[in-house]
Amino acid sequence: MKVLLMGHPNVGKSVVFNRLTGSNVSESNYPGTTVDYTKGCVWVGHKEMELIDVPGTFSLEPKDKAEEVAVKMLKGNKNAVVVCIIDSTKIERGLYLALEIIEMGNPVIVALNMWDIAEDKNIDIDEKKLQQILGVPVVPTIAVSGKGIKELVSKIKEAASVKIESIMENVGGK
Amino acid sequence: MKKKLSEMNYGEQGIVKSINEELRKQVAGMGIRVNKKLKMATKQPIKGPVVVTVDESNISLGLGIADKIIMEVES
Repeated sequence: MKVLLMGHPNVGKSVVFNRLTGSNVSESNYPGTTVDYTKGCVWVGHKEMELIDVPGTFSLEPKDKAEEVAVKMLKGNKNAVVVCIIDSTKIERGLYLALEIIEMGNPVIVALNMWDIAEDKNIDIDEKKLQQILGVPVVPTIAVSGKGIKELVSKIKEAASVKIESIMENVGGK
Repeated sequence: MKKKLSEMNYGEQGIVKSINEELRKQVAGMGIRVNKKLKMATKQPIKGPVVVTVDESNISLGLGIADKIIMEVES
């Protein structure tokens, strides 16, 4: 089974990746582009999963080569679990990407990274409510210190694919 | 006062009033949407990009894109 790490550039995807894989990493080139992605292995329970560090992307409408790779990887791995990593201090645009990924139909789990910095900036996020609205697991993490990483791993198997309509219902929109 | 994002001066703040239809999706991923508060951070010379602050992060936009975003600027 494959796990894709997706998120905006500079939200700590690679830090999470290194946390999850330890030193068991290999690099490879994607054909036709100059953009690299990194592959590694992670053990969830007794199952080994292939973890892929996808290049950062702002949205699923590719604007450059790196984003094209990201979108292609998502579309080429329909059943892969996507760990959507969000910068807690810039949660709005992060959630935009998360919703786009959810719309693709992949099972998703959201990691609210840089939780400590958000706290410092007095940004108060109700992650339980967010989880309730999105219908996918939401885990606060601090990748640089390793906080929340264990919980993230344990919840990978709880990743769920949800319909965008049910999220709309939960927020009371049409 | 209404003006294009590209016409805003350094340090000016404003709220996004409208975005060109085709552009809307393109800038949404960067956190720019209608009713969002933006601040002009830097304007690069010689038709260079503009840098705006959205949610405390800086984003640079090409002049062509900044031309198509209409702002309501606080005076």
